[in-house]
Amino acid sequence: MLSALLVLLGFFAGLLGAMTGIGGGVLLSPILALHFGIPIRQAIGTSLIAVITTSAASSSVHLQRHTTDIRLGMTLELATALGAAVTAYLVGYFNRNVLEGLFAGFLLYSSVIILVRGGKVRNEEVREVSGDGETVIPPYEPQHYPLGLGASLFAGGLSGLLGIGGGPIKVPVMYIFMNVPLMVATATSNFMVGVTAAASAIVYYRRGDILVELAAPLAVGVFLGSLLGARLAPRIHTKYVVYLLVAIMLYLAGHLFVHLLTGGAA
Amino acid sequence: MSQLREPAFDRVVALVLRLGAFGCFFIMLAGLLLGLFVHSHIPAEIERAGVLLILATPVVRVLVAGILFLREKDWKYGAISFGVLAILLLGAVFGIGEH
Repeated sequence: MLSALLVLLGFFAGLLGAMTGIGGGVLLSPILALHFGIPIRQAIGTSLIAVITTSAASSSVHLQRHTTDIRLGMTLELATALGAAVTAYLVGYFNRNVLEGLFAGFLLYSSVIILVRGGKVRNEEVREVSGDGETVIPPYEPQHYPLGLGASLFAGGLSGLLGIGGGPIKVPVMYIFMNVPLMVATATSNFMVGVTAAASAIVYYRRGDILVELAAPLAVGVFLGSLLGARLAPRIHTKYVVYLLVAIMLYLAGHLFVHLLTGGAA
Repeated sequence: MSQLREPAFDRVVALVLRLGAFGCFFIMLAGLLLGLFVHSHIPAEIERAGVLLILATPVVRVLVAGILFLREKDWKYGAISFGVLAILLLGAVFGIGEH
């Protein structure tokens, strides 16, 4: 019964994630911690498995559309993987309240980023499709690598602490500061998530913080959900899906804050 | 240096990721379904294999991309790839946890 519920949860997170371009992982660890009573560290480790699965499935699609900058991604992965591995070791020294507070803060920040970004990806996509339907990306030159690497180190660090992909940090940095087209930034961030999450997940796994019996149904659900979401995304009005995702994120942020203030009674 | 148009390179890396994701999905599904009928440790062991496969997928992806870069004599990005691989493997070797 628990497994069926987790498949559903993963399916829902994967569906929302694929339709909005924000990995559903950001929903999984707080829901596991708040509603399934999983200790926060195991919730984080377990959700990392779903995060890697989504990243692998969706970035193989982006790669086939040739919108991923593998060289840029690999370079920034030096920083994200390092940050993620280091915080995965250190997570034991953070107490639960700090983790939950950071998570609530990250959910609030991501909500703002998602709302600000809104329909931008879509508009740019339309502009970049040429007559024959091929995606055409104007030539660009990534700039400000030190800044990009610094932000990636930070995003990787948060990923290892919270079990998330960190797209809401990497995408704006690549797009705004590194002069990378939004579509490429999104695909490349997605590409990097798998390696980033694996860098910390390997450490969590060795420590026994990945609950296999929960990870399996979540991965199955998230895989199906992201496949369906990727197919539905071009056809339906994603604006309302974005609002739904933000509403859930704000609810989880609020719940985490209440949980913090009441010392875990809520 | 925005080398986006490399269809063959993209296709190989995409294949690695797809094999990992689909493989993990089917292994996990098999474990879950078997768990409905069999009450032993076997379904959990199958699911553990799925977890290990998905953990290995990004590692293999980095290794394959690194080899492709070296074959193109792109030493800089080959070195970067093997740097990323080293970080990933360090986590596997020093996976000791405190409490």
